[in-house]
Amino acid sequence: MSPLPPVKLVPRNVAAVRRVPRQAADVVVVAGNPMSTRLESGVGNCFPGLECDLRNLERRFFPFLEVDVGDNSITIVAADAAGAAADAKARGLPADGPKAYRTIARDLAAGRSWQVRRLQGTFGSLGELTLDIATLAAPSSGPGRQPPDAWTAVRMLTEGTAVVLSLRGPGNAALELTGNRTRYLDDNGALADMFLPGEMTQSLCSPWTHDFRDCGCFYWASNHPDIALPPLPAAADPSDPQWNLSAMWERQDRTIATPPRPATADDPTPFELRHQEINGAWQTLNFVVGRREIVTPLGAGRATGDPLASGAELARFLRYAAGVELAVAQEYLAAAYSLKPPDRLANPLADDLRAAHAELMRIAIGEMKHLRAVNDVLRGLAAPGTFQPALQVASRVPGQQPGETRPVVPRAATAAAIRDFIDIERPSVSVDSVYARILATLERDGPHDLEQSVRTIMAEGEDHFETFLAIQQWLGRHQETDYLRSTTGAPPPAGDAGHKTLQAGYLDLLQRLHRGYTLGGTAGAPFVNQARSDMVGPIDATAQAIAERGFLVVFDRIDDPRFAPIDPP
Amino acid sequence: MSASPPRVAGDAENPLFRRFTSRAGEHVLIVPYSRIFDLPPELTPRFDAPDAEMGRLVAALATVAEGEEPLDLVPEPPPQAMSLNVSSACNLACTYCYADRGSFHGRQPDPMTPAVARDAVDRLLAGADPARPLTVGFLGGEPFVNRALIHDVVAYARGRGERLGLDVRFSVTTNATLLRPADLQLLRDHGFAVTVSLDGDAAVNDRRRPRRGGAGSFAAVRRAIAPLLADPGRAKVAARATVGGDDFDLAGRFDAIRELGFGEVGFAPLKSSAGAIEGDGWRRYLAALSDLARRELGGTLDGRPLALTNLAIALRQLHRGASAPYPCGAGGGYFSVSAQGRWYACHRAIGDPAYELGDNRGLDHDRRRQFLAARHVHAQTDCGACWARYLCAGGCHQEAARRSPQSCDFIRGWLEFCLAAYCELVERRPDYFHPRRMEMAS
Repeated sequence: MSPLPPVKLVPRNVAAVRRVPRQAADVVVVAGNPMSTRLESGVGNCFPGLECDLRNLERRFFPFLEVDVGDNSITIVAADAAGAAADAKARGLPADGPKAYRTIARDLAAGRSWQVRRLQGTFGSLGELTLDIATLAAPSSGPGRQPPDAWTAVRMLTEGTAVVLSLRGPGNAALELTGNRTRYLDDNGALADMFLPGEMTQSLCSPWTHDFRDCGCFYWASNHPDIALPPLPAAADPSDPQWNLSAMWERQDRTIATPPRPATADDPTPFELRHQEINGAWQTLNFVVGRREIVTPLGAGRATGDPLASGAELARFLRYAAGVELAVAQEYLAAAYSLKPPDRLANPLADDLRAAHAELMRIAIGEMKHLRAVNDVLRGLAAPGTFQPALQVASRVPGQQPGETRPVVPRAATAAAIRDFIDIERPSVSVDSVYARILATLERDGPHDLEQSVRTIMAEGEDHFETFLAIQQWLGRHQETDYLRSTTGAPPPAGDAGHKTLQAGYLDLLQRLHRGYTLGGTAGAPFVNQARSDMVGPIDATAQAIAERGFLVVFDRIDDPRFAPIDPP
Repeated sequence: MSASPPRVAGDAENPLFRRFTSRAGEHVLIVPYSRIFDLPPELTPRFDAPDAEMGRLVAALATVAEGEEPLDLVPEPPPQAMSLNVSSACNLACTYCYADRGSFHGRQPDPMTPAVARDAVDRLLAGADPARPLTVGFLGGEPFVNRALIHDVVAYARGRGERLGLDVRFSVTTNATLLRPADLQLLRDHGFAVTVSLDGDAAVNDRRRPRRGGAGSFAAVRRAIAPLLADPGRAKVAARATVGGDDFDLAGRFDAIRELGFGEVGFAPLKSSAGAIEGDGWRRYLAALSDLARRELGGTLDGRPLALTNLAIALRQLHRGASAPYPCGAGGGYFSVSAQGRWYACHRAIGDPAYELGDNRGLDHDRRRQFLAARHVHAQTDCGACWARYLCAGGCHQEAARRSPQSCDFIRGWLEFCLAAYCELVERRPDYFHPRRMEMAS
């Protein structure tokens, strides 16, 4: 039996078209969303963005109002008088507010408009201001500066602080409304209830492919490319430089036998599909995989690991994998905190440091997510009531060759350290090879709903690998002495108070995670949430303080058997 | 509380697909739910030597989709169509008549009375699904021997239907020889689906469909039907020719009937009366029908309407993916009412106790369930291994006993032809199944 080639069956009759898979029959639902649906993989900016347009948040910045925001205008488009009345009643407030909402709603229904003339409130770092919306203008600089336009002003309002709107309506009627700037997210981090389905996408370019036609700025995310390496004809030499120059993704000339015209800073429009052509030929645009366009079906990559012999061995591997996630997270944190703060440095060093620090922290957080995912897999495999969280730190992490390991060495982000990080995240070897064996075992023995968690970890490992390559490039153009706080990278001396605080906080964190993972589900969520808050709150502050004193941020060995080092299987 | 509907399980080992080739390329029919897919060339050989992986693909495609009824169900829909056997007599003496000219060998000696007909209509209207059209058909004998009853029932059913907000439609199968101007107007005004029994030109028709005294009937048919063909009003008129084992010049018959002005002509093979097709006759019938269909399809690919009903209906059914465990609505959505007001599953079984499932007072639901369960295609021992089982479902219940390897080969051969024709047609004339788009464009 050979696997089916990747083919597309074209439905002919209505019955073939009608055959949509039934969830229960042949779709396996796995926990979590694919990576491509996450906000961080999208291009969620404001002009107008590809997955969502953040400007739509500001349309509901004031309670029970929906507004259109222009450069020098804020026009009310809807007023929820009933909502305002119910809210006032619930909070025992006087009826003036709801009355104003009723007036506005009635006027809007009659086609009479209301505008925000003055906006008074707390504008983030600009402090408390009263702004005349019509006079806002760019540039605005120096002491006492104002936001340059109405949208920026609304955007800068601090969540939860008091806002006063001075409104002008028909016949120069005036109203004043007071309320707090709304919360855009709820307690779970989801969009607040006031946003209706579809609101975040209502102002997107449609189709988004037009946006590239007009915005060839070489910065689009790889899942929405504007430039890409051209498809390789079968006969082409992959190392031939002429096939390794990025080309316009929406080029007019769709032939693939000869290398397309490389993308340059020159105006690309004469060589690109026009809007109308895109509408008619968007399906000829190629998928981009690994920065290169492909014109043949892409086969699913297969994990190459040997399956493990038993469920017990699978559990040992998973516990070790969790330990590796914790160990490398410690190494990445030590490296991240070793970087100089960029604030008083010149560019390009400042930008490179900013990016490297942010990405190191993102990857470290990613490893913590993997830790959770591995624990979820272990829970899925365990008999009910027998699950024990995996929170031991690996004593050694996988090396480049099968069976090879190296010690865990927290250190500054030297060039050598970054090389090690690249190696450990390199696809198909090291950590990936551990997960490949876990995946192969799950694929063979099930339960199959756990496979996707492992695939996600492996896919994100590949993203980490790519990111470390970028970090290597950013930091590699500077001297280590220029970007590291201390090149010696020594941990704090014994008895250092800050270090002790850090270790206590770390132990608390692990205990909270242990409790949260043990309880699982919503019962465990408060403990996991608290651990998260600690990480980005007090623990981060303590670590920063240690780093500022020129020491390395390290975490000591813990003897509690729940958190004691774990050896490779 | 109602019990869950009965089911007749199919055998998991039965074939799930049939690969076929058309002038448009390679295709596969997924047997359950009649799904048709184009096959990329590299996949085609895999269907000829299927392995476990292919099995999984096919099984996934063969699962029931939203809005489809599982094929192992024994459905018990409300009766939506009925035929009234209004006449027990006929002015012709066709050599192959199943109804013994309306008397059903003495089991229906008298014609239907208006009271019986109205009771039957009332019963149908009371139980039908109001969201879908209802059909009242008239059969005999020759229905227009009992002309007054037809006019009465149409007026009655139309009136009742309008009061109840129901879409009542009418059909009749007639030899056409007795049609009078008032009858034609009735057919036009009420949008009858008129099926005229007519076997070919004068020579063929008069030999097979003589009058009681032996004289021919062709001239009378031509005279009587001409005004309706010239001005059908809202009526839809088709001819149906019965084919016996002695004459397979289908094209000659088809052309002769078309010359009279019929826009639709279909053929029905004779299986169980004197002169039925038997043995090798099925192969000859298939060849003749396919040759004619190929010729007509050519015209249709060039933009002309498709006049061969057998092909037109098969193509429509393949397009929507017709797939059912029953060959017809007998005992399900369709019943035939005898002159005495008894409800039979099929008009050919008037007077046959095995098919009697109720009367004008109501259906015997247990008998009906047993009747349907026994005739489900999964209960037919020789149908399970056939890829055509949900398109043919074993064929006419009345003729099941006459089923032979040759008659089944005919069914499969004809369906293979139609499958290929379907793929060619949608390739060449994608508008064929979307005529309204054409109207909008014009």
